[in-house]
Amino acid sequence: MHYTPRNYGSKGISLLTRESWLFLKNAFGSIFSREFIKVLLPLLVLWEIVPRLNIIPRTLIPTLSDVALAFWDLTLNKGFFLHIIYSLGKFLAGLLIAIFLAIPIGIFMGWNIPIRKHTLPLFQILAPIPPPAWVPITIIIFGIGLPMQIYLIFLGAFYPILFNTYQAIKDTDPRYLSSARVFGASELTLILRVYIWNALGAIIMSVKTGVAIALVMLVIAEMYGGRSGIGYLLVEAKDFFQIPAMVVCMLTLGLIGWFSIELLKFAELKLALWKVGR
Amino acid sequence: MIEARRISKFFSIVNKDGIAEGLTACLSVSLSIGKGEIITLLGPSGCGKSTFLEILAGLQAPTEGEVYIDGVRVLEPLPSTRNEMEEYRKKYRFLSPLANDLIRDRPKHDIAMIFQDYAVFPWMTVLQNVTFTLKLRGLAHVEREKQALIYLGKVGLASSANKYPSQLSGGMRQRLAFARALSVEPKAILMDEPFAAVDLLTRERLQDDLLNLWKSSGITIVMVTHDVAEAVYLSDEIVIFSPSPGTIRNLFRVDVPRPRRRDDPALAEIQERISRLLKYDLDNESEYSI
Repeated sequence: MHYTPRNYGSKGISLLTRESWLFLKNAFGSIFSREFIKVLLPLLVLWEIVPRLNIIPRTLIPTLSDVALAFWDLTLNKGFFLHIIYSLGKFLAGLLIAIFLAIPIGIFMGWNIPIRKHTLPLFQILAPIPPPAWVPITIIIFGIGLPMQIYLIFLGAFYPILFNTYQAIKDTDPRYLSSARVFGASELTLILRVYIWNALGAIIMSVKTGVAIALVMLVIAEMYGGRSGIGYLLVEAKDFFQIPAMVVCMLTLGLIGWFSIELLKFAELKLALWKVGR
Repeated sequence: MIEARRISKFFSIVNKDGIAEGLTACLSVSLSIGKGEIITLLGPSGCGKSTFLEILAGLQAPTEGEVYIDGVRVLEPLPSTRNEMEEYRKKYRFLSPLANDLIRDRPKHDIAMIFQDYAVFPWMTVLQNVTFTLKLRGLAHVEREKQALIYLGKVGLASSANKYPSQLSGGMRQRLAFARALSVEPKAILMDEPFAAVDLLTRERLQDDLLNLWKSSGITIVMVTHDVAEAVYLSDEIVIFSPSPGTIRNLFRVDVPRPRRRDDPALAEIQERISRLLKYDLDNESEYSI
Protein backbone atom coordinates (compact mmCIF):
# COMPACT_ATOMS: atom_id res chain seq x y z
CA MET A 1 0.00 0.00 0.00
CA HIS A 2 1.36 3.38 -0.95
CA TYR A 3 -0.25 6.12 0.97
CA THR A 4 1.05 9.63 0.84
CA PRO A 5 -0.61 11.88 3.41
CA ARG A 6 -2.00 15.00 1.80
CA ASN A 7 -0.76 18.30 3.03
CA TYR A 8 -4.05 19.85 4.08
CA GLY A 9 -2.38 22.89 5.56
CA SER A 10 -0.86 24.10 2.28
CA LYS A 11 -1.68 27.63 1.31
CA GLY A 12 -3.51 27.01 -1.95
CA ILE A 13 -6.34 25.01 -0.40
CA SER A 14 -8.88 27.07 1.46
CA LEU A 15 -10.62 25.80 4.56
CA LEU A 16 -13.88 25.20 2.69
CA THR A 17 -12.43 23.02 -0.02
CA ARG A 18 -10.40 21.19 2.57
CA GLU A 19 -13.47 20.44 4.63
CA SER A 20 -15.60 19.42 1.66
CA TRP A 21 -12.82 17.18 0.40
CA LEU A 22 -12.65 15.57 3.82
CA PHE A 23 -16.41 15.15 3.83
CA LEU A 24 -16.53 13.58 0.36
CA LYS A 25 -13.68 11.28 1.25
CA ASN A 26 -15.34 10.17 4.47
CA ALA A 27 -18.75 9.80 2.86
CA PHE A 28 -18.12 8.25 -0.54
CA GLY A 29 -14.53 7.12 -0.29
CA SER A 30 -15.73 3.61 0.50
CA ILE A 31 -16.98 3.12 -3.10
CA PHE A 32 -13.61 3.87 -4.56
CA SER A 33 -11.60 1.83 -2.14
CA ARG A 34 -9.24 -0.69 -3.73
CA GLU A 35 -11.23 -3.54 -2.21
CA PHE A 36 -14.67 -2.48 -3.33
CA ILE A 37 -13.61 -1.60 -6.88
CA LYS A 38 -12.85 -5.29 -7.31
CA VAL A 39 -16.48 -6.05 -6.52
CA LEU A 40 -18.05 -3.05 -8.21
CA LEU A 41 -16.47 -3.37 -11.65
CA PRO A 42 -17.43 -7.04 -12.22
CA LEU A 43 -20.95 -6.23 -11.00
CA LEU A 44 -21.30 -3.39 -13.49
CA VAL A 45 -19.98 -5.64 -16.28
CA LEU A 46 -22.45 -8.37 -15.32
CA TRP A 47 -25.26 -5.84 -15.25
CA GLU A 48 -24.39 -4.87 -18.80
CA ILE A 49 -23.89 -8.40 -20.16
CA VAL A 50 -26.63 -10.49 -18.55
CA PRO A 51 -29.64 -8.63 -20.08
CA ARG A 52 -27.79 -8.37 -23.42
CA LEU A 53 -27.34 -12.14 -23.57
CA ASN A 54 -31.06 -12.39 -22.79
CA ILE A 55 -30.52 -14.49 -19.69
CA ILE A 56 -32.98 -12.08 -18.15
CA PRO A 57 -35.27 -10.31 -20.65
CA ARG A 58 -33.87 -6.85 -21.41
CA THR A 59 -37.34 -5.32 -21.28
CA LEU A 60 -37.54 -6.13 -17.56
CA ILE A 61 -33.99 -5.46 -16.44
CA PRO A 62 -32.40 -2.67 -18.47
CA THR A 63 -28.65 -2.72 -18.99
CA LEU A 64 -26.28 -0.19 -17.51
CA SER A 65 -26.07 1.62 -20.84
CA ASP A 66 -29.88 1.77 -21.07
CA VAL A 67 -29.99 3.38 -17.64
CA ALA A 68 -27.25 5.84 -18.58
CA LEU A 69 -29.16 6.77 -21.73
CA ALA A 70 -32.37 7.17 -19.75
CA PHE A 71 -30.53 9.48 -17.36
CA TRP A 72 -29.31 11.54 -20.31
CA ASP A 73 -32.80 11.62 -21.76
CA LEU A 74 -34.37 12.68 -18.46
CA THR A 75 -31.80 15.44 -18.02
CA LEU A 76 -32.28 16.82 -21.53
CA ASN A 77 -36.02 16.49 -22.00
CA LYS A 78 -37.62 16.43 -18.57
CA GLY A 79 -35.45 18.77 -16.49
CA PHE A 80 -34.31 15.99 -14.20
CA PHE A 81 -32.09 18.22 -12.05
CA LEU A 82 -34.91 20.67 -11.55
CA HIS A 83 -37.01 17.79 -10.24
CA ILE A 84 -34.20 16.80 -7.91
CA ILE A 85 -34.11 20.35 -6.58
CA TYR A 86 -37.90 20.36 -6.08
CA SER A 87 -37.68 17.11 -4.17
CA LEU A 88 -34.76 18.27 -2.07
CA GLY A 89 -36.57 21.53 -1.31
CA LYS A 90 -39.68 19.75 -0.02
CA PHE A 91 -37.56 17.23 1.85
CA LEU A 92 -35.54 19.95 3.58
CA ALA A 93 -38.61 22.04 4.39
CA GLY A 94 -40.42 19.12 6.00
CA LEU A 95 -37.32 17.93 7.81
CA LEU A 96 -36.38 21.35 9.15
CA ILE A 97 -39.90 22.00 10.46
CA ALA A 98 -39.77 18.61 12.16
CA ILE A 99 -36.35 19.33 13.68
CA PHE A 100 -37.27 22.77 14.94
CA LEU A 101 -40.48 21.52 16.52
CA ALA A 102 -39.46 18.09 17.76
CA ILE A 103 -36.14 18.92 19.41
CA PRO A 104 -37.44 21.73 21.67
CA ILE A 105 -40.57 19.77 22.58
CA GLY A 106 -38.43 16.72 23.27
CA ILE A 107 -36.09 18.76 25.45
CA PHE A 108 -38.93 20.22 27.49
CA MET A 109 -40.57 16.83 27.88
CA GLY A 110 -37.36 15.23 29.04
CA TRP A 111 -36.50 18.07 31.38
CA ASN A 112 -39.70 18.65 33.30
CA ILE A 113 -42.05 16.04 34.72
CA PRO A 114 -45.31 18.09 34.71
CA ILE A 115 -44.73 19.06 31.07
CA ARG A 116 -44.05 15.41 30.29
CA LYS A 117 -47.22 14.26 31.99
CA HIS A 118 -49.28 16.81 30.10
CA THR A 119 -47.93 16.05 26.65
CA LEU A 120 -46.43 12.59 26.41
CA PRO A 121 -49.68 10.54 26.21
CA LEU A 122 -50.87 12.62 23.27
CA PHE A 123 -47.75 11.78 21.30
CA GLN A 124 -47.90 8.18 22.47
CA ILE A 125 -51.37 7.90 20.94
CA LEU A 126 -50.49 9.60 17.68
CA ALA A 127 -46.99 8.28 17.06
CA PRO A 128 -47.78 4.60 16.38
CA ILE A 129 -50.03 5.53 13.42
CA PRO A 130 -47.89 4.60 10.42
CA PRO A 131 -47.17 7.82 8.54
CA PRO A 132 -48.48 6.51 5.17
CA ALA A 133 -51.87 6.01 6.85
CA TRP A 134 -52.06 9.79 7.08
CA VAL A 135 -52.01 10.17 3.29
CA PRO A 136 -55.76 9.99 2.52
CA ILE A 137 -56.87 12.42 5.21
CA THR A 138 -53.99 14.77 4.41
CA ILE A 139 -54.99 14.86 0.74
CA ILE A 140 -58.57 15.72 1.72
CA ILE A 141 -57.53 18.42 4.17
CA PHE A 142 -54.66 20.07 2.31
CA GLY A 143 -55.58 19.07 -1.24
CA ILE A 144 -52.96 17.87 -3.67
CA GLY A 145 -49.96 20.13 -3.59
CA LEU A 146 -47.00 21.41 -1.73
CA PRO A 147 -48.51 21.80 1.79
CA MET A 148 -49.72 18.22 1.78
CA GLN A 149 -46.34 16.93 0.66
CA ILE A 150 -44.40 18.95 3.20
CA TYR A 151 -46.80 17.92 5.95
CA LEU A 152 -46.32 14.24 5.18
CA ILE A 153 -42.54 14.59 5.17
CA PHE A 154 -42.72 16.50 8.44
CA LEU A 155 -44.86 13.76 9.93
CA GLY A 156 -42.38 11.08 8.98
CA ALA A 157 -39.47 12.82 10.67
CA PHE A 158 -41.25 14.35 13.67
CA TYR A 159 -41.93 11.39 15.97
CA PRO A 160 -38.57 9.61 15.79
CA ILE A 161 -36.77 12.88 16.51
CA LEU A 162 -39.18 13.77 19.29
CA PHE A 163 -39.06 10.47 21.12
CA ASN A 164 -35.33 9.91 20.86
CA THR A 165 -34.58 13.47 21.99
CA TYR A 166 -36.97 13.13 24.89
CA GLN A 167 -35.48 9.81 25.94
CA ALA A 168 -31.91 11.08 25.73
CA ILE A 169 -32.68 14.20 27.75
CA LYS A 170 -34.56 12.17 30.33
CA ASP A 171 -31.69 9.74 30.72
CA THR A 172 -29.10 12.44 31.39
CA ASP A 173 -26.62 11.20 33.97
CA PRO A 174 -27.87 12.62 37.29
CA ARG A 175 -24.31 13.17 38.48
CA TYR A 176 -23.71 15.75 35.77
CA LEU A 177 -26.86 17.54 36.89
CA SER A 178 -25.94 17.28 40.56
CA SER A 179 -22.46 18.59 40.04
CA ALA A 180 -23.81 21.62 38.18
CA ARG A 181 -26.59 22.15 40.74
CA VAL A 182 -24.20 22.14 43.69
CA PHE A 183 -22.40 25.08 42.13
CA GLY A 184 -25.70 26.93 41.69
CA ALA A 185 -26.70 26.32 38.09
CA SER A 186 -30.17 27.51 37.15
CA GLU A 187 -32.50 25.26 35.20
CA LEU A 188 -31.86 27.31 32.05
CA THR A 189 -28.12 26.83 32.40
CA LEU A 190 -28.66 23.14 33.02
CA ILE A 191 -30.60 22.81 29.77
CA LEU A 192 -28.20 24.87 27.70
CA ARG A 193 -24.92 23.61 29.10
CA VAL A 194 -25.62 20.10 30.39
CA TYR A 195 -28.77 18.41 29.07
CA ILE A 196 -28.35 19.32 25.40
CA TRP A 197 -24.67 18.48 25.24
CA ASN A 198 -25.11 15.20 27.01
CA ALA A 199 -27.88 14.22 24.58
CA LEU A 200 -26.21 15.60 21.46
CA GLY A 201 -25.12 12.25 20.06
CA ALA A 202 -28.56 10.74 20.55
CA ILE A 203 -30.26 13.79 19.02
CA ILE A 204 -28.16 13.58 15.86
CA MET A 205 -28.84 9.85 15.76
CA SER A 206 -32.57 10.58 15.98
CA VAL A 207 -32.33 13.04 13.09
CA LYS A 208 -30.72 10.26 11.05
CA THR A 209 -33.72 8.03 11.75
CA GLY A 210 -35.98 10.96 10.90
CA VAL A 211 -34.19 11.46 7.57
CA ALA A 212 -34.75 7.83 6.62
CA ILE A 213 -38.48 7.95 7.30
CA ALA A 214 -38.84 11.42 5.78
CA LEU A 215 -37.35 10.09 2.56
CA VAL A 216 -39.94 7.33 2.45
CA MET A 217 -42.65 9.92 2.98
CA LEU A 218 -41.17 12.14 0.25
CA VAL A 219 -41.60 9.37 -2.30
CA ILE A 220 -45.10 8.52 -1.10
CA ALA A 221 -46.17 12.16 -1.08
CA GLU A 222 -44.86 12.78 -4.59
CA MET A 223 -46.40 9.59 -5.91
CA TYR A 224 -49.83 10.48 -4.58
CA GLY A 225 -50.01 14.08 -5.48
CA GLY A 226 -48.00 16.63 -7.31
CA ARG A 227 -46.54 17.45 -10.62
CA SER A 228 -42.92 17.64 -9.63
CA GLY A 229 -40.19 15.73 -7.93
CA ILE A 230 -38.50 12.40 -8.34
CA GLY A 231 -41.42 10.43 -6.94
CA TYR A 232 -43.61 12.00 -9.61
CA LEU A 233 -41.11 11.07 -12.33
CA LEU A 234 -41.07 7.55 -10.96
CA VAL A 235 -44.85 7.17 -11.24
CA GLU A 236 -44.84 8.78 -14.67
CA ALA A 237 -42.15 6.35 -15.86
CA LYS A 238 -44.26 3.48 -14.53
CA ASP A 239 -47.27 4.70 -16.50
CA PHE A 240 -45.23 4.68 -19.73
CA PHE A 241 -43.41 1.45 -18.81
CA GLN A 242 -40.03 3.15 -18.94
CA ILE A 243 -38.05 0.85 -16.69
CA PRO A 244 -34.65 2.53 -17.26
CA ALA A 245 -36.08 5.87 -16.10
CA MET A 246 -37.48 4.18 -13.02
CA VAL A 247 -34.06 2.78 -12.17
CA VAL A 248 -32.54 6.25 -12.54
CA CYS A 249 -35.11 7.68 -10.11
CA MET A 250 -34.54 4.90 -7.60
CA LEU A 251 -30.79 5.30 -7.67
CA THR A 252 -31.13 9.07 -7.26
CA LEU A 253 -33.38 8.66 -4.22
CA GLY A 254 -30.88 6.28 -2.70
CA LEU A 255 -28.12 8.75 -3.30
CA ILE A 256 -30.09 11.54 -1.62
CA GLY A 257 -30.59 9.36 1.43
CA TRP A 258 -26.97 8.36 1.58
CA PHE A 259 -25.82 11.94 1.14
CA SER A 260 -28.00 13.30 3.93
CA ILE A 261 -26.98 10.58 6.38
CA GLU A 262 -23.32 11.25 5.62
CA LEU A 263 -23.88 14.98 6.04
CA LEU A 264 -25.27 14.31 9.52
CA LYS A 265 -22.39 12.03 10.38
CA PHE A 266 -20.02 14.81 9.38
CA ALA A 267 -21.94 17.31 11.50
CA GLU A 268 -21.70 14.92 14.44
CA LEU A 269 -17.97 14.60 13.94
CA LYS A 270 -17.57 18.37 13.94
CA LEU A 271 -19.96 19.08 16.82
CA ALA A 272 -18.97 16.29 19.19
CA LEU A 273 -15.26 17.00 18.96
CA TRP A 274 -14.83 15.90 22.56
CA LYS A 275 -15.74 12.35 21.68
CA VAL A 276 -12.92 12.00 19.18
CA GLY A 277 -10.23 11.33 21.74
CA ARG A 278 -12.14 8.40 23.17
CA MET B 1 -20.32 25.13 60.31
CA ILE B 2 -22.29 22.18 58.92
CA GLU B 3 -24.88 20.83 61.25
CA ALA B 4 -27.17 17.89 60.63
CA ARG B 5 -29.99 17.35 63.09
CA ARG B 6 -31.69 13.96 63.30
CA ILE B 7 -31.56 13.22 59.60
CA SER B 8 -33.67 10.30 58.47
CA LYS B 9 -34.21 9.17 54.93
CA PHE B 10 -36.69 6.53 53.90
CA PHE B 11 -37.10 5.19 50.42
CA SER B 12 -39.83 3.04 49.09
CA ILE B 13 -38.63 0.60 46.52
CA VAL B 14 -40.53 -1.95 44.49
CA ASN B 15 -39.05 -5.43 44.76
CA LYS B 16 -39.10 -8.02 42.03
CA ASP B 17 -42.50 -9.35 43.08
CA GLY B 18 -43.92 -5.88 42.50
CA ILE B 19 -44.46 -5.20 46.19
CA ALA B 20 -43.43 -1.85 47.64
CA GLU B 21 -40.91 -2.11 50.44
CA GLY B 22 -39.65 0.48 52.82
CA LEU B 23 -35.92 1.09 52.99
CA THR B 24 -34.22 3.13 55.65
CA ALA B 25 -31.09 4.76 54.29
CA CYS B 26 -30.40 6.94 57.33
CA LEU B 27 -31.99 6.87 60.75
CA SER B 28 -31.74 9.86 63.02
CA VAL B 29 -28.22 10.88 62.16
CA SER B 30 -26.96 13.97 63.96
CA LEU B 31 -23.57 15.38 63.19
CA SER B 32 -21.85 18.66 63.76
CA ILE B 33 -18.83 19.51 61.68
CA GLY B 34 -16.47 22.26 62.70
CA LYS B 35 -14.68 24.72 60.47
CA GLY B 36 -11.46 23.57 58.83
CA GLU B 37 -11.79 19.95 59.84
CA ILE B 38 -11.45 16.86 57.72
CA ILE B 39 -14.28 14.48 58.55
CA THR B 40 -14.57 11.02 57.06
CA LEU B 41 -17.78 9.05 56.86
CA LEU B 42 -16.70 5.43 56.91
CA GLY B 43 -18.72 2.30 56.52
CA PRO B 44 -19.48 -0.70 54.33
CA SER B 45 -21.19 -0.05 51.04
CA GLY B 46 -24.92 0.43 51.20
CA CYS B 47 -24.96 1.93 54.67
CA GLY B 48 -26.44 5.24 53.61
CA LYS B 49 -23.31 7.36 53.89
CA SER B 50 -23.46 8.60 50.31
CA THR B 51 -27.13 9.41 50.75
CA PHE B 52 -26.26 11.33 53.89
CA LEU B 53 -23.62 13.30 52.01
CA GLU B 54 -26.08 14.20 49.26
CA ILE B 55 -28.52 15.34 51.91
CA LEU B 56 -25.81 17.58 53.35
CA ALA B 57 -25.25 19.04 49.89
CA GLY B 58 -28.96 19.61 49.37
CA LEU B 59 -29.13 17.21 46.45
CA GLN B 60 -31.62 14.99 48.21
CA ALA B 61 -34.34 15.99 50.60
CA PRO B 62 -34.27 14.21 53.96
CA THR B 63 -37.52 12.61 55.05
CA GLU B 64 -37.00 14.04 58.50
CA GLY B 65 -34.51 16.37 60.07
CA GLU B 66 -32.70 19.51 59.07
CA VAL B 67 -29.31 20.47 57.73
CA TYR B 68 -27.82 23.87 58.43
CA ILE B 69 -24.78 25.33 56.77
CA ASP B 70 -23.55 28.39 58.65
CA GLY B 71 -26.95 28.66 60.27
CA VAL B 72 -28.86 28.65 56.96
CA ARG B 73 -31.20 25.76 56.37
CA VAL B 74 -30.22 23.76 53.29
CA LEU B 75 -33.63 22.62 52.11
CA GLU B 76 -37.05 23.72 53.19
CA PRO B 77 -39.09 21.11 55.07
CA LEU B 78 -41.12 18.72 52.96
CA PRO B 79 -44.91 19.12 53.03
CA SER B 80 -46.76 17.12 55.62
CA THR B 81 -50.41 17.96 54.97
CA ARG B 82 -52.41 17.79 51.79
CA ASN B 83 -52.66 21.58 51.51
CA GLU B 84 -48.97 22.02 51.99
CA MET B 85 -48.41 19.38 49.34
CA GLU B 86 -50.50 21.35 46.84
CA GLU B 87 -48.54 24.51 47.56
CA TYR B 88 -45.27 22.66 47.25
CA ARG B 89 -46.25 21.08 43.95
CA LYS B 90 -47.27 24.45 42.56
CA LYS B 91 -44.07 26.11 43.69
CA TYR B 92 -41.84 23.49 42.15
CA ARG B 93 -43.75 22.92 38.94
CA PHE B 94 -40.84 23.97 36.76
CA LEU B 95 -38.09 23.62 39.33
CA SER B 96 -36.56 20.80 41.16
CA PRO B 97 -36.78 21.63 44.87
CA LEU B 98 -33.06 20.94 44.99
CA ALA B 99 -32.12 23.35 42.22
CA ASN B 100 -31.80 27.03 42.58
CA ASP B 101 -33.48 29.27 40.07
CA LEU B 102 -35.21 28.94 36.76
CA ILE B 103 -33.18 31.55 34.89
CA ARG B 104 -30.55 33.04 37.17
CA ASP B 105 -27.48 31.17 38.37
CA ARG B 106 -27.22 31.54 42.11
CA PRO B 107 -25.52 29.16 44.49
CA LYS B 108 -27.52 28.58 47.66
CA HIS B 109 -24.59 27.68 49.83
CA ASP B 110 -20.89 28.13 49.69
CA ILE B 111 -20.03 24.49 49.19
CA ALA B 112 -18.59 22.35 46.44
CA MET B 113 -18.91 18.66 45.78
CA ILE B 114 -16.72 16.03 44.16
CA PHE B 115 -18.24 12.82 42.90
CA GLN B 116 -16.92 9.31 42.77
CA ASP B 117 -16.29 9.12 39.04
CA TYR B 118 -15.35 12.77 38.74
CA ALA B 119 -18.50 13.98 36.91
CA VAL B 120 -16.45 16.52 34.98
CA PHE B 121 -18.25 17.47 31.79
CA PRO B 122 -16.73 15.57 28.87
CA TRP B 123 -18.02 18.11 26.35
CA MET B 124 -16.04 20.97 27.86
CA THR B 125 -12.29 21.39 27.79
CA VAL B 126 -10.38 21.31 31.06
CA LEU B 127 -10.38 25.10 31.19
CA GLN B 128 -14.06 25.38 30.28
CA ASN B 129 -14.95 22.93 33.03
CA VAL B 130 -13.44 25.25 35.61
CA THR B 131 -14.64 28.52 34.08
CA PHE B 132 -18.17 27.08 33.88
CA THR B 133 -18.41 26.72 37.66
CA LEU B 134 -16.84 30.14 38.12
CA LYS B 135 -19.45 31.60 35.78
CA LEU B 136 -22.15 30.06 37.94
CA ARG B 137 -20.66 32.02 40.84
CA GLY B 138 -21.00 35.20 38.82
CA LEU B 139 -17.38 36.04 38.05
CA ALA B 140 -16.62 38.32 35.13
CA HIS B 141 -15.23 36.78 31.97
CA VAL B 142 -11.62 37.91 32.32
CA GLU B 143 -11.37 36.99 35.99
CA ARG B 144 -12.85 33.58 35.31
CA GLU B 145 -10.06 32.55 33.02
CA LYS B 146 -7.38 33.97 35.30
CA GLN B 147 -8.66 32.22 38.40
CA ALA B 148 -9.26 28.98 36.53
CA LEU B 149 -5.65 28.95 35.36
CA ILE B 150 -4.40 29.63 38.88
CA TYR B 151 -6.25 26.62 40.27
CA LEU B 152 -5.39 24.41 37.31
CA GLY B 153 -1.78 25.31 38.02
CA LYS B 154 -2.20 24.31 41.66
CA VAL B 155 -3.23 20.80 40.69
CA GLY B 156 -0.68 20.64 37.89
CA LEU B 157 -3.06 20.73 34.94
CA ALA B 158 -2.22 24.15 33.50
CA SER B 159 -0.46 22.63 30.51
CA SER B 160 -3.50 20.55 29.51
CA ALA B 161 -6.01 23.40 29.80
CA ASN B 162 -7.24 22.96 26.25
CA LYS B 163 -7.57 19.18 26.31
CA TYR B 164 -10.84 17.35 26.73
CA PRO B 165 -11.35 15.16 29.82
CA SER B 166 -11.41 12.05 27.63
CA GLN B 167 -7.78 12.76 26.78
CA LEU B 168 -6.76 12.77 30.45
CA SER B 169 -5.89 9.86 32.71
CA GLY B 170 -8.11 8.92 35.64
CA GLY B 171 -5.90 10.66 38.18
CA MET B 172 -5.75 13.83 36.08
CA ARG B 173 -9.52 13.84 35.75
CA GLN B 174 -9.84 13.61 39.50
CA ARG B 175 -7.40 16.51 39.87
CA LEU B 176 -9.55 18.47 37.44
CA ALA B 177 -12.54 17.76 39.68
CA PHE B 178 -10.47 19.11 42.60
CA ALA B 179 -9.53 22.23 40.66
CA ARG B 180 -13.15 22.77 39.71
CA ALA B 181 -14.30 22.45 43.30
CA LEU B 182 -11.50 24.55 44.80
CA SER B 183 -11.65 27.33 42.22
CA VAL B 184 -14.92 28.67 43.60
CA GLU B 185 -13.18 28.99 46.97
CA PRO B 186 -15.90 27.25 48.94
CA LYS B 187 -16.10 27.02 52.70
CA ALA B 188 -16.61 23.28 52.53
CA ILE B 189 -16.02 20.50 50.05
CA LEU B 190 -18.06 17.33 50.15
CA MET B 191 -16.47 14.30 48.52
CA ASP B 192 -18.14 11.04 47.62
CA GLU B 193 -15.45 8.34 47.46
CA PRO B 194 -13.12 10.62 45.53
CA PHE B 195 -10.27 8.13 45.23
CA ALA B 196 -12.24 4.96 44.61
CA ALA B 197 -11.72 4.89 40.86
CA VAL B 198 -7.94 5.40 40.67
CA ASP B 199 -5.09 2.97 41.22
CA LEU B 200 -3.25 2.72 44.54
CA LEU B 201 -0.16 4.78 43.62
CA THR B 202 -2.22 7.59 42.13
CA ARG B 203 -4.52 7.43 45.12
CA GLU B 204 -1.69 8.05 47.60
CA ARG B 205 -0.39 10.94 45.54
CA LEU B 206 -3.85 12.47 45.28
CA GLN B 207 -4.33 12.11 49.03
CA ASP B 208 -1.12 14.06 49.65
CA ASP B 209 -2.16 16.65 47.07
CA LEU B 210 -5.45 16.99 48.87
CA LEU B 211 -3.74 17.52 52.21
CA ASN B 212 -1.50 20.20 50.71
CA LEU B 213 -4.44 22.01 49.19
CA TRP B 214 -6.32 21.72 52.46
CA LYS B 215 -3.38 23.12 54.43
CA SER B 216 -3.09 26.17 52.20
CA SER B 217 -6.80 26.95 52.10
CA GLY B 218 -8.12 25.75 55.45
CA ILE B 219 -11.50 24.61 54.14
CA THR B 220 -13.76 22.04 55.70
CA ILE B 221 -13.70 18.65 54.02
CA VAL B 222 -16.36 16.00 54.44
CA MET B 223 -15.43 12.76 52.75
CA VAL B 224 -17.17 9.45 52.23
CA THR B 225 -14.96 6.39 51.90
CA HIS B 226 -14.83 2.70 52.59
CA ASP B 227 -11.05 2.58 52.79
CA VAL B 228 -10.03 2.48 56.46
CA ALA B 229 -6.36 3.36 55.87
CA GLU B 230 -7.34 6.39 53.82
CA ALA B 231 -9.79 7.56 56.47
CA VAL B 232 -7.21 7.24 59.25
CA TYR B 233 -4.47 8.96 57.29
CA LEU B 234 -6.55 11.95 56.23
CA SER B 235 -9.09 12.78 58.86
CA ASP B 236 -9.42 14.62 62.13
CA GLU B 237 -12.54 12.71 62.93
CA ILE B 238 -13.92 9.45 61.60
CA VAL B 239 -17.64 8.81 61.68
CA ILE B 240 -18.42 5.14 61.42
CA PHE B 241 -21.74 4.24 59.87
CA SER B 242 -23.43 0.95 60.48
CA PRO B 243 -25.74 -0.44 57.84
CA SER B 244 -29.47 -1.18 57.79
CA PRO B 245 -30.60 1.22 59.05
CA GLY B 246 -27.79 3.71 58.45
CA THR B 247 -26.87 5.20 61.77
CA ILE B 248 -23.73 6.51 63.38
CA ARG B 249 -22.01 3.62 65.10
CA ASN B 250 -18.98 5.35 66.56
CA LEU B 251 -16.98 8.53 66.40
CA PHE B 252 -13.21 8.28 66.38
CA ARG B 253 -11.00 11.30 66.84
CA VAL B 254 -7.62 10.95 65.23
CA ASP B 255 -5.35 13.16 67.30
CA VAL B 256 -2.11 12.29 65.57
CA PRO B 257 -0.33 15.55 64.69
CA ARG B 258 0.21 16.52 61.06
CA PRO B 259 2.15 15.99 58.87
CA ARG B 260 1.50 12.30 59.38
CA ARG B 261 3.45 9.37 58.12
CA ARG B 262 1.59 6.50 56.54
CA ASP B 263 3.50 3.95 58.61
CA ASP B 264 2.97 5.75 61.92
CA PRO B 265 2.22 3.07 64.58
CA ALA B 266 -0.37 5.32 66.21
CA LEU B 267 -2.31 5.43 62.93
CA ALA B 268 -1.91 1.69 62.51
CA GLU B 269 -3.39 1.11 65.94
CA ILE B 270 -6.46 3.24 65.22
CA GLN B 271 -6.85 1.52 61.88
CA GLU B 272 -6.69 -1.87 63.59
CA ARG B 273 -9.38 -0.89 66.08
CA ILE B 274 -11.71 0.40 63.37
CA SER B 275 -11.18 -2.65 61.20
CA ARG B 276 -12.00 -4.94 64.08
CA LEU B 277 -15.14 -2.97 64.80
CA LEU B 278 -16.33 -3.12 61.19
CA LYS B 279 -15.53 -6.81 60.99
CA TYR B 280 -17.47 -7.46 64.17
CA ASP B 281 -20.50 -5.66 62.70
CA LEU B 282 -20.32 -7.63 59.48
CA ASP B 283 -19.94 -10.95 61.29
CA ASN B 284 -22.92 -10.26 63.51
CA GLU B 285 -25.00 -9.23 60.56
CA SER B 286 -24.29 -12.44 58.70
CA GLU B 287 -25.46 -14.47 61.70
CA TYR B 288 -28.81 -12.76 61.58
CA SER B 289 -29.20 -13.03 57.88
CA ILE B 290 -28.81 -16.82 57.98
